Amino acid sequence: MKKKKMISIVLVSALFAMALAGCGGKKDAADDGKIKLEFFQNKTEAKASFDELVKKFNDANPNITVTQVNPPDAETVLKTRVAKKDVPDIIGIGATDTYAQLAKSGVFADFSDSGLTGNIQPAYLNMMNKLTGSEKVNGIPFTANASGVIYNKKMFEELGLSIPKTWDELIATAQKVKDAGKTPFYLTIKDSWTTLVPFNSLSTEIMGIDFYGERAEGKTKFDSPEFREVAEKQLKLMDFAEKDMYGKGYNDGNAAFAKGEAAMYLQGVWAIPEILKANPDASVGVFPFPGTNDAGRNKVISGVDTLLTVSKNTKHPEEAKKFIEFLLKSENVQTFIDQQKAFSAVKGVNQSDASVQGFNEAFESGAIEDFSDHYIPSAVKADTIIQGFMQKKDIDAYVKQFDTEWDKVAARK
Amino acid sequence: MSKRKAAFYSMTIPALLLFFTFHTFPTLQGIFYSFTNWDGYSDGYDFVGFKNFKALFTDENVLNAYLFTFKYAIVVTVLINVISLLIALGLNSKIKFRNFFRGVYFLPNVLGVLIVGYIFNYIFANAIPTIGEALGSETLAINILGSEKWAWVGIVIVAVWQGIAFNTILYLAGLQTIPRDLYEASDIDGAGKWETFRSITFPMLASFFTINMVLAMKNSLMVFDQIVALTGGGPGRATQSIAMLIYQGGFQGGEFAYQSANAVIYFIVIVIISVVQLNFLQKREMDA
Repeated sequence: MKKKKMISIVLVSALFAMALAGCGGKKDAADDGKIKLEFFQNKTEAKASFDELVKKFNDANPNITVTQVNPPDAETVLKTRVAKKDVPDIIGIGATDTYAQLAKSGVFADFSDSGLTGNIQPAYLNMMNKLTGSEKVNGIPFTANASGVIYNKKMFEELGLSIPKTWDELIATAQKVKDAGKTPFYLTIKDSWTTLVPFNSLSTEIMGIDFYGERAEGKTKFDSPEFREVAEKQLKLMDFAEKDMYGKGYNDGNAAFAKGEAAMYLQGVWAIPEILKANPDASVGVFPFPGTNDAGRNKVISGVDTLLTVSKNTKHPEEAKKFIEFLLKSENVQTFIDQQKAFSAVKGVNQSDASVQGFNEAFESGAIEDFSDHYIPSAVKADTIIQGFMQKKDIDAYVKQFDTEWDKVAARK
Repeated sequence: MSKRKAAFYSMTIPALLLFFTFHTFPTLQGIFYSFTNWDGYSDGYDFVGFKNFKALFTDENVLNAYLFTFKYAIVVTVLINVISLLIALGLNSKIKFRNFFRGVYFLPNVLGVLIVGYIFNYIFANAIPTIGEALGSETLAINILGSEKWAWVGIVIVAVWQGIAFNTILYLAGLQTIPRDLYEASDIDGAGKWETFRSITFPMLASFFTINMVLAMKNSLMVFDQIVALTGGGPGRATQSIAMLIYQGGFQGGEFAYQSANAVIYFIVIVIISVVQLNFLQKREMDA
């Protein structure tokens, strides 16, 4: 009797614990017979645009319900969910190191024979293959972004400034703005990732994007005259920033630039919708960041901003594919890029917004290059290193830190 | 088995199982992974022995995180205990609106750390610089969270502001356990306010002091949310606590196994500190 009681107590508690453990994770107890799909994406700026497209898709497909999930710090959330083996059905993220790592470890479906790539710009497909080092297609490029310099057209007109084409001209322009008593660059160093924007331009234009591949193979080092030039120019930019540049973040920057507090803002086109939200009348233009004195080397930094992919283990691969096909339709891409001021990875869809016309020439002539930080392992935390450097301003320590962190991360693999 | 015992078992065993499932089992998993090279998302991994642990001891970032965390934890523990003891003494004396004040002082404990953090982030970034500007003060006119040298002070301010609420409640509870007649006796002996505090109040509060010190220390060694909301570990790595480093390196950086090893060491360190602290403070309780 005694023993029996004990056993039943243990059993009941075990069941209880299991029931509790079972609570997490399960979400599709579909009672209305609809197929539920989770669409996880990482762009906070694009939440409303995707909501609109998701609604359109759900209305057109009564048997499928797609739900958008857009948490803060989405890349980290995605990695933790992958660690838990709880991968969202459909995923929209940038072609970054996170994407490359996850693709390499086989989290995503292979789209090589899906028939979805036919209408995609080959340049972006190549970019993604270069990133993952594989011929497989683990994601479909949806939109591309571009970064360089955003400028206040009205202020440039008032001060009689023209678009700088070389580094020296850029600095001369900044000096003129400063002499006029205004802030040339609005820097937002409190958010470490924003320091990557000028870094990407400078590093790609001065050292070339292949530098990082060579660094990985051990053929070169950050401790080189070229990288020191990058560092010096990073510091030079700070001479022309607002006083509290260390204390301002991305949102502060968008708001301040919208209010006309600075002439130039070193950001990508993704910031433009945010600026216009803060001040719909802001007169905004863009031009490629001139990192060198050789105008031919100065490029627009452009990468896959959002790629669409599907979990290898999703229960509804057909429906997930259907959603991606829907998003890739010209009219839907157009809606999205119009709202986001992004560029299309789908052929035949063009960005015609006046604010980003300054990049058109570069896009037409092919003077574009990928973001260099996508080739730096994320464990190196380039943004943190740069943010620290901007405080200490010690070039020798900076160059050395990049090398030691890189080697340390490589040794731990 | 008597009915009484059955009742105890039926309460203990579910709790034990829950504790094991959600606490002990993940801990063991973490220890297991610390001997591998798993990145947190791949299907496979290899065993690497103590390689991760060896690498930890030569990693400058780990050292830096430990230094920051200890500096922070000591300052916060001392400040929280001093201030909350003072507040508790105030709230325990005969003042008007005593219950109202008790409620007000407890309020910060009810608010979410992240919410408080974001509010203070706004205050540091906008409100204080605006005031500083108006006063013409150079130091106040910039956001201290953006300064490598002073960002930690901002985090301390927020942590202390929020942390004192809970400790004040514990001290208040402690103060009410002190028998009135002791004070009457000291009054008759002609002891001053300070003398009374030093010889009666503080010794009688000894066990509460121990608990408060240990809790405050443990909480501040595990500081995470405040940093997420205020600085994200920056500028550079100036305010990167150990918990933050484990999270950033392990999940953002895809070095799950390596940071698991860091977590194992961190766990051992916290256990040692708590035990030492308890031993030391309890001995002091005896002496008092």
